[in-house]
Amino acid sequence: MLKFDEVKEGDTLPPLVRGPITKEEIAGYSQAAGDPNPMHVDEEFAKAAGYPGVFAQGMLSMGYLGQYVTQLAGVGNVKLLQSRFVKITWPGETITCRARVAGKEVDAQGNRLVRVDLSTENETGEVKLSGRAVVTAS
Amino acid sequence: MANRAMIGKTFPPVTATIEADSIKTFARALGDRNPLYVDDAAAKASAFGAIVAPPTYPIAFMAQSMAGAAGSFEELGLNFMTLVHGEQEFEYQRPVTAGEELTLTARIADVSERQARSGTLDILVLETTATDAAGKPVFASRQTLVSRRM
Repeated sequence: MLKFDEVKEGDTLPPLVRGPITKEEIAGYSQAAGDPNPMHVDEEFAKAAGYPGVFAQGMLSMGYLGQYVTQLAGVGNVKLLQSRFVKITWPGETITCRARVAGKEVDAQGNRLVRVDLSTENETGEVKLSGRAVVTAS
Repeated sequence: MANRAMIGKTFPPVTATIEADSIKTFARALGDRNPLYVDDAAAKASAFGAIVAPPTYPIAFMAQSMAGAAGSFEELGLNFMTLVHGEQEFEYQRPVTAGEELTLTARIADVSERQARSGTLDILVLETTATDAAGKPVFASRQTLVSRRM
């Protein structure tokens, strides 16, 4: 669990590696999330829209970030999670979730908050999601 | 085409009933087998007292709940063929747990358009707040949807 006194601005936290992402995983996520967009399951639809094929939902990768920050801070300690979907994540890619401490503060209620900058990257370091989180630390 | 007259429009509140099975399916699909998400006994013994939802789970019931209320994507000025999720933010007061009923209220926070290399992009920002049976806020979502005009 993240300890307030043991982290400082600029620290990088141990990464979480997920993947390689499969088309089955992408289709399974569509089903579980009730995502009606055929772009993630229908090759022909994706090609008609100008893409080389189906691709992962941004929310699947954001789910990895949710898993990652929860592993770092504990269930119930994630106060904010934000992602910007920068680039498409393709089947076959292995995704590394990274976090860097952006700051920390004690709020008016006495909560010890740690702000982290987040990203997901593929094997070549291409950033797919860029985001941030605020968590409470012990 | 982006319809700026829609800015500020609030949709009638809708109710979402949070089911343990749906959370478990979602967590497994994410490949996240945290016992609090998938194991009844572990969840019951925890401080939460019930199956807990992963942070991004609200997307699963928000879309479903809003489907009727938000009308068609066309009405909102978006092209379904090229619709993508540009950005997503969740602010949490506490995690969502199984067995509760949440009231969701969505509001169109912004409508805009932008010129990109690929053409004209229509951008919609939808804000949704979720409150529990006691009327207390549980989370707030801010999602940015983007479509390319064809």
